[in-house]
Amino acid sequence: MLLLRTWKLGIRSLLLHPMRSSLTVLGILIGVTSVIWLLAISEGISKEFQRQIEDLGAENIIVRSIKPPDEGGGNFRRVNAFGVSRAEYRMINDTISTVDRVLPIRELTQKFANMGNSKVKPINGRLVGCTSEYAEVTRLVVNRGHFLTTQEVETGATVCVIAATLAQKLFPGEDPIEKEIYLPENQDYYEIVGVLEPRNSTAAIGGSLASQDFSLDVYIPVTTMRIRLSDEVTKRSGGTFSRQRFELSQITVQVKNVDDVPQTAKLVEATLRVRDPDRQDFAVVVPYELLEQAKTTRMMFMMFMCLIAAISLVVGGIGIMNIMLATVTERTREIGVRRALGAKRSDITQQFLVETITLSVVGGLTGILLGLLGPWTFVLARDGVERFAPNLYSVIPEVGRVMSPEIVPASIPVSFFISVVVGVTFGLYPAMRAAQMDPIEALRHE
Amino acid sequence: MAAVIRDLQKHYVLKSETVRALRGVSFAVPQGDYVAIMGPSGSGKSTLLNLLGCLDRPTEGSFMLGDDDVAAMSDDELSAIRASRIGFVFQSYNLIPQLSVVENIEVPLYYMGNLNSKSKQRSIALAAMVGLGDRLGHRPTQLSGGQQQRVAIARSLVNDPYFILADEATGNLDSVTTEEILALFQRLNDEGRTIIMVTHEDEVAEHAKRVIRLRDGEIQVDEPIKGRKVFTAEQIEEISQNANSSSD
Ligand SMILES: Nc1ncnc2c1ncn2[C@@H]1O[C@H](COP(=O)(O)OP(=O)(O)O)[C@@H](O)[C@H]1O
Ligand SMILES: [Mg+2]
Repeated sequence: MLLLRTWKLGIRSLLLHPMRSSLTVLGILIGVTSVIWLLAISEGISKEFQRQIEDLGAENIIVRSIKPPDEGGGNFRRVNAFGVSRAEYRMINDTISTVDRVLPIRELTQKFANMGNSKVKPINGRLVGCTSEYAEVTRLVVNRGHFLTTQEVETGATVCVIAATLAQKLFPGEDPIEKEIYLPENQDYYEIVGVLEPRNSTAAIGGSLASQDFSLDVYIPVTTMRIRLSDEVTKRSGGTFSRQRFELSQITVQVKNVDDVPQTAKLVEATLRVRDPDRQDFAVVVPYELLEQAKTTRMMFMMFMCLIAAISLVVGGIGIMNIMLATVTERTREIGVRRALGAKRSDITQQFLVETITLSVVGGLTGILLGLLGPWTFVLARDGVERFAPNLYSVIPEVGRVMSPEIVPASIPVSFFISVVVGVTFGLYPAMRAAQMDPIEALRHE
Repeated sequence: MAAVIRDLQKHYVLKSETVRALRGVSFAVPQGDYVAIMGPSGSGKSTLLNLLGCLDRPTEGSFMLGDDDVAAMSDDELSAIRASRIGFVFQSYNLIPQLSVVENIEVPLYYMGNLNSKSKQRSIALAAMVGLGDRLGHRPTQLSGGQQQRVAIARSLVNDPYFILADEATGNLDSVTTEEILALFQRLNDEGRTIIMVTHEDEVAEHAKRVIRLRDGEIQVDEPIKGRKVFTAEQIEEISQNANSSSD
């Protein structure tokens, strides 16, 4: 019979030692809060990964060129080309039937300047040669003007479309449309026909460890790039030169039916390996498969977080047990008196259990409250780091900077339930010990 | 009869020896009796009191409480008997620190499962009866020794017990307060309450009606007190007046 009075008494007994009780509560509180926080953070990270992968497009297969490690600098005259070629692009386009669209893409890092305003500092960005379908397949949205047209690609027009951030930096307070962008490294210039909406980065794909950043891109027709820029690139870093040759950085293959993706990916790979089965200069990335992998990774991550949380709850529980054992010893006399006045063993067990459950429930509830503040605290802390410790902030992995923690609804009842279970489990032994005391001995206790 | 014990024995089995703390004790306590149990240290007073209080079971013999033989009861049954039929008064008061005066008085009722608004009225009335009607909400630490013992006496009465067991109830009190408690005992006994108390002080025992002297676990003497000290009605009135005013 768990009367209200029993609970009131339990609370009152706990309040006799407010400091001790609150420290005990703290153990459970930290456990519960960490369950909720860890799950919220892992959920946020998984969601962000998933979003990035989905942005790559589940129906796409991405073939990236990879620069093989240098085979010693001896070859000065001629540099061997690496990566996928235009011929291979055409082969995929012409021979694989499950394919909807195939996009040739060539990316170069470049310095860009404002042709009409030399006061604006030139910035480093990415020059992307592509076709008109690129915008749709890569989910780029035009803000003003238009994306590269089929005609512009066919005629090799010297036009470009620029990303939002680049537009802001290079043309502050100006409308970039119909202005010209200047490439000082090639003494070349392009007319801007479109400006894009800002876009989030996507997941890291083969060939580059970092996730793809679209914010400083300049898109020109891949045909124009072929005409005006050489396949061979000379890079100067410090005093050393390095030359490399490649035709395409990437081929994006869009498959008609998502179900055909894995099979098509195999075909694409086989096609590219016809001549040299051992070639290492490309990688096939299948977002569809990444997505599947991400799901299992997410499960493992969650389980790992749960394990950590469980450990912290057990530690909290041991804290409760420790305190209750001390309390029972300290209150031996009270136990003896209660037994003399008619308390059964079960009454004594109940009394102490009520106290531990009170401690763990209070810990659980406050833990949940603090847990709910988790995402908010996380964002606040991150903004704080960004403002006051920019160096530290730049070290945070990309996903940590963009993700937002998301409370997993189930974590609230689950953590509450666990905290009660912990209270009962770890309170049972001290309570039973109290009940097993001989009343005569207990009464004699000083 | 409030209690009848017959040939009661209690042995403590230790590793090296068996201590025979009680070696066959028999007596009956009629309703309304006032017994002082005396004897030198180690004679078995506490052992006897623990048996009478149903805190322990005898090794041999019977102990009839009303119509029930306590000797054969389970632990839970003994607890129920303690809650409903026995009133304890201890040397060191043994109030529960986190409870108020009224709540302390109510504890036995709580374990009897008899807690209701009527029982609350009863507890308040008992507090008033022992002169603490104006301290119902106080905590034990806010009371003097004599006041705490009076709360303990009120608590011992709350379940309308067969008898009150007092173990050196005045042992921690000064002579004035001792008088106060003894006057209260006498008043209760005059009202028909049965009291069994353990004491080693003759001045205290003199207030009882009967003395049982133990020696080495056996009854040496069981006789009425000659020249019993009795408080007159005026004295009782005066003492309780003083007690109430001195406690303000
Ligand atoms: N729990 C016990 N275990 C062993 N021996 C005990 C125990 N309790 C009492 N005794 C022994 O029983 C005898 C009577 O003790 P007790 O009843 O406490 O005497 P009193 O209260 O008259 O001093 C003593 O010899 C004491 O040592
Ligand atoms: Mg003793």
